[in-house]
Amino acid sequence: MARNRLAWGLLAALVIIVAVAAVIAIIGRGDRATQPLTAYTAPALAKMPAAASVPGVPGEWHIPAGDYASTRYSDLSQITTQNVGQLKPAFTFDTGFLKGHEAAPLIVGSTMYLITPYPNVVYALDLTKPGAAVKWRFDPKPDPKSQGVACCDVVSRGMSYDNGRLFMVTLDGQVIALDANSGAQVWRTPIADISKGETVTMAPLVAAGKVLVGDAGGEFGVRGSLTALDEGSGKIVWRAYSTGPDKDVLIGPNFHPYYAQDRGKDLGVTSWPGEAWKQGGGTVWGWISYDPELRTIYYGTSNPGPWNPEQRPGDNKWTAGVFARDIDTGQAKWFYQSNPHDLYDHDDINELILLDMPVDGKMRKVIVHPGRTGYMYVLDRLTGQVLSADPYSYITAYTGVDLKTGRLQHNPAKEPVSGRVVRGICPAPPGGKDWNPSAFSPRTGLVYVPHLNLCNDNALSQPNYIPGTAYLGVEAKMYAGPGGNRGVLTAWDPVRRKAAFEIKEDLPLWSGALATAGDVVFYGTLDGWFKAIDARSGKLLWKFKTESGIVGQPVTYRGPDGRQYVAIFSGVGGWVGGLVSNGFDHRDPTGGLGIFNAVQDLPKKSPRGGRLYAFALPR
Amino acid sequence: MPSPCRASLLIVALLAGGCDQMRNDPRGHPLPETPPLVSTVLSPVRADPRAADYQNNAFQVSNGQLYYHWMNCTGCHSEGGGGIGPSLMDVNWRYGSTMEDVVQSISNGRPNGMPAFGGKMTAAQIWQTAAYVRSLSQHVPQSIRSGRSEGLSVGEPSTLRDPHPYRAVTPKQDEATVK
Amino acid sequence: MRRLAPLVALLALGGCHGQQAVLGGGGRDDALFGGLWQIFLIVTIVFYLVVLAGLTWAVLRRREGGEAVVRTTFYIWVGVVSLTLVGLSIASWLVDRTMNRAAHTGLTVEITAHQWWWDVRYISPGHPDQTLRTSNELHLPVGVPVQVILNSADVIHSFWIPNISGKQDLIPGRNNDIVITPTRVGIYRSQCAEYCGLQHAHMAFDVTIEPLATFQQWWGDGLLPARAPATPEQKAGYAYVTTRECATCHNISGTPATGKVAPDLTHFASRATIGAGTFPMNRGHLYAWLADPQRAKPGNKMPEIGLEPDQLHAVAAYLESLK
Repeated sequence: MARNRLAWGLLAALVIIVAVAAVIAIIGRGDRATQPLTAYTAPALAKMPAAASVPGVPGEWHIPAGDYASTRYSDLSQITTQNVGQLKPAFTFDTGFLKGHEAAPLIVGSTMYLITPYPNVVYALDLTKPGAAVKWRFDPKPDPKSQGVACCDVVSRGMSYDNGRLFMVTLDGQVIALDANSGAQVWRTPIADISKGETVTMAPLVAAGKVLVGDAGGEFGVRGSLTALDEGSGKIVWRAYSTGPDKDVLIGPNFHPYYAQDRGKDLGVTSWPGEAWKQGGGTVWGWISYDPELRTIYYGTSNPGPWNPEQRPGDNKWTAGVFARDIDTGQAKWFYQSNPHDLYDHDDINELILLDMPVDGKMRKVIVHPGRTGYMYVLDRLTGQVLSADPYSYITAYTGVDLKTGRLQHNPAKEPVSGRVVRGICPAPPGGKDWNPSAFSPRTGLVYVPHLNLCNDNALSQPNYIPGTAYLGVEAKMYAGPGGNRGVLTAWDPVRRKAAFEIKEDLPLWSGALATAGDVVFYGTLDGWFKAIDARSGKLLWKFKTESGIVGQPVTYRGPDGRQYVAIFSGVGGWVGGLVSNGFDHRDPTGGLGIFNAVQDLPKKSPRGGRLYAFALPR
Repeated sequence: MPSPCRASLLIVALLAGGCDQMRNDPRGHPLPETPPLVSTVLSPVRADPRAADYQNNAFQVSNGQLYYHWMNCTGCHSEGGGGIGPSLMDVNWRYGSTMEDVVQSISNGRPNGMPAFGGKMTAAQIWQTAAYVRSLSQHVPQSIRSGRSEGLSVGEPSTLRDPHPYRAVTPKQDEATVK
Repeated sequence: MRRLAPLVALLALGGCHGQQAVLGGGGRDDALFGGLWQIFLIVTIVFYLVVLAGLTWAVLRRREGGEAVVRTTFYIWVGVVSLTLVGLSIASWLVDRTMNRAAHTGLTVEITAHQWWWDVRYISPGHPDQTLRTSNELHLPVGVPVQVILNSADVIHSFWIPNISGKQDLIPGRNNDIVITPTRVGIYRSQCAEYCGLQHAHMAFDVTIEPLATFQQWWGDGLLPARAPATPEQKAGYAYVTTRECATCHNISGTPATGKVAPDLTHFASRATIGAGTFPMNRGHLYAWLADPQRAKPGNKMPEIGLEPDQLHAVAAYLESLK
């Protein structure tokens, strides 16, 4: 009898414990806010600074970001939530290449300009001709050896147009100015050294008479830099390195970082052991925004090299942070290191959207910046102060950002240690979101962020520095985060500091987003669906299956016939798509810096491709 | 001969057959006097007698695994799956899969981005690395392949991998595949 | 008996002197351990003599009466032995606790053991640019407790400076640490104390204990880049070392040789030995090492380079200049 009672008692206790544990597990499941798909009707209080629109004709698209504030928003409203369901392809164009097509098409007047991945051929399409006939073609003939030192597929993220000239960069780092009418080369300036593993994949920004180009190669121990060339002659006007003594980093008397962690002399040397800053990374392969009123450019620097953090004790300035510089001289105004002593390849090169919006009731000039760390930063663009940093994706690697000191707080349980495999680090190295840019709509006040939900395991090893080879020291294996979906489109309200709605996607989202005045937001998925959603509710209004996964940036323009067109490249590749675009082997979970394990199904879901699609409403 | 003697002779003979696979010769072949490969043209390279020595010996393959990590091969080729450089685990070989071809690839580099390690590694190291590279795609018997990595790894040891040859299935291949 | 005593004393003294001597009295832990050892030695000698005396007395003065005669003596003896054992245990426990409760003053050295060499990193907290990396040698200031963090890159090794402290294993996947306090200036030899492969016997390093000022001077000098080559032969050696196989694995600060998987050579010629204690540092052995490292230390990870004679002279000349 006593034994029976004991047994029942134990069973009851077990049931209670399991129930309590389940409740705790459900409540404490992570930092992400999710809301159902109902219409969102917040007043739109955030807006783009007036001066930041690119000079030019409305209805065209001159730089990949759309405007200097990087909103990727178009005033065109012919396509609306009511009629977007009727969108059809108007014409297509095959580039002839099958690697990742990450570029944004440019439209000036009635010509569309495209740049392909390596070998970086530039096409000019005459939009007045039926089927958009090729007007001219320019083959820059980059060095084929550059393909071996491009970490994440041989992509190009676009060009910029100004004043009759196109500005492009090849993979091996040659900045070329082309006459937009004829395609003739005006000048060519090399800025990268591929023998050290330095390439260029970013879209150069042209503003205030300068062409701004940053290098790539944080995975190769390249010393990062941003170079400004004169728009007319191509001569290098200034170059700001991301590591090294203050005079190389162009830090002078005008430099006023907000936080104490970023203040000191020659921090680009003293926050590294020995001469590690020479292979320190901090490359500038992402996006640059420009505020013409303040004559200031804003950009982020990449991860430090090598990935293995034990090789480089110290804060590793000036990597993984945001710089504000004077566009004419390159002198730094402020710097905020969002990720000192980076442990996970969480760069800071993502887009910096310049907005004027209320913070705690006061209108302020801010930067809204989705970080790789998984936090949505709102920075004061005059001082570099962090006004808020809220998680927009699932995070286990960090516990928060201390707003008083600005310092990122690490979770000690997830810090990589040599000789051990650390599991469950979220977000994975591509971060909460990688380079693919978000869009902002002043009509809804929301930032549309196409991003990732990936976690990873991590093991350290001793890296060796051999110039021209990868300098990593980390083996990673990525997989889907909680929920099983690897991609998410989040509509984030920067004023309320939370998500308005989220759309889960099976595959990681690697395409950019586009917002239009018709209250339609466009983005593409890795299995080739080009989607249009309602900007206020997130409801899917239209989708079209393109030939290959989409990793490009959608743009919209008014064609010569007066119709609004939406153009997007379809051609899977980039870091996430290399498995398909380069024919790699998914059986190695550490392949592609760990990403193959997360997208093993991609070869079945997307073939290779390289085609531009332009959609419009039927006449 | 009494039967235990015969049995033990048989056992010894069998063991001796496997001894070569496990022989530990740290000085390696070749000695410096033997000429290195010099051909740079993409044409079949003459067969080299050293190839058999390296790819049939577990010690050489294991040393090759060490250098595969030291020379940052993992940075571009991962543990054989590729990432920046092509996959080394599948049946597609752009520049040839024989030992001599792989040695030439490592030593002289290749036009589309493979760096040249010729003056940066000794000839013996290059042969050992080539033997390891070939072991990633089952060109080397399982008894010789390395059963573990030098340190911790997030992946599986190569001896546990699927032994069937693998070809990446993507339509619209645009590169010639040389076997 | 009398003749045995000096013999016992001689045996006791055998481990007491020299570069690599337990009880050599070079460190705080060693002194503590030495004291404990002496206590044990004296106690056990005393008990041994008492037991011998008792046996002798029992043999010589055999008496009838059996157990009852010696019962009290027996109980007293058991009591004395038990108390002594407890006392020895307490002494041992106290010494162990004292050794482990050492203070930590801010000098941290990280040692990563490889097959078959030691990678040593001096850390200055808060000053990452003062991090000094060297190989196969350890300099420490006298009288200052040092926290040595131990890690292994491949298999289990063991860190042991006999004159200064006890052993502590370096286990892959685990950061062990030990606090040592050298108490006497001098040069000692340390030896890997856990079998780790073919060349376990040739995995030693030299430990130099020096006054604090000298130590700081050494650290500062260590942070300087390598000396530039002066003579034409050294320049030829520099050209070879920084562009050929050497640079792929070895690091020489201030030059293009930036390999990180082999011992750091920036101040190579200042070390007392080559190859982690395999040979003393002199020209003959350096030539032997460079010409055929596999003959010098078979199985070690440095391959035979195949240097031509003039290259050998040049490289040796350059390496000898790296003081």
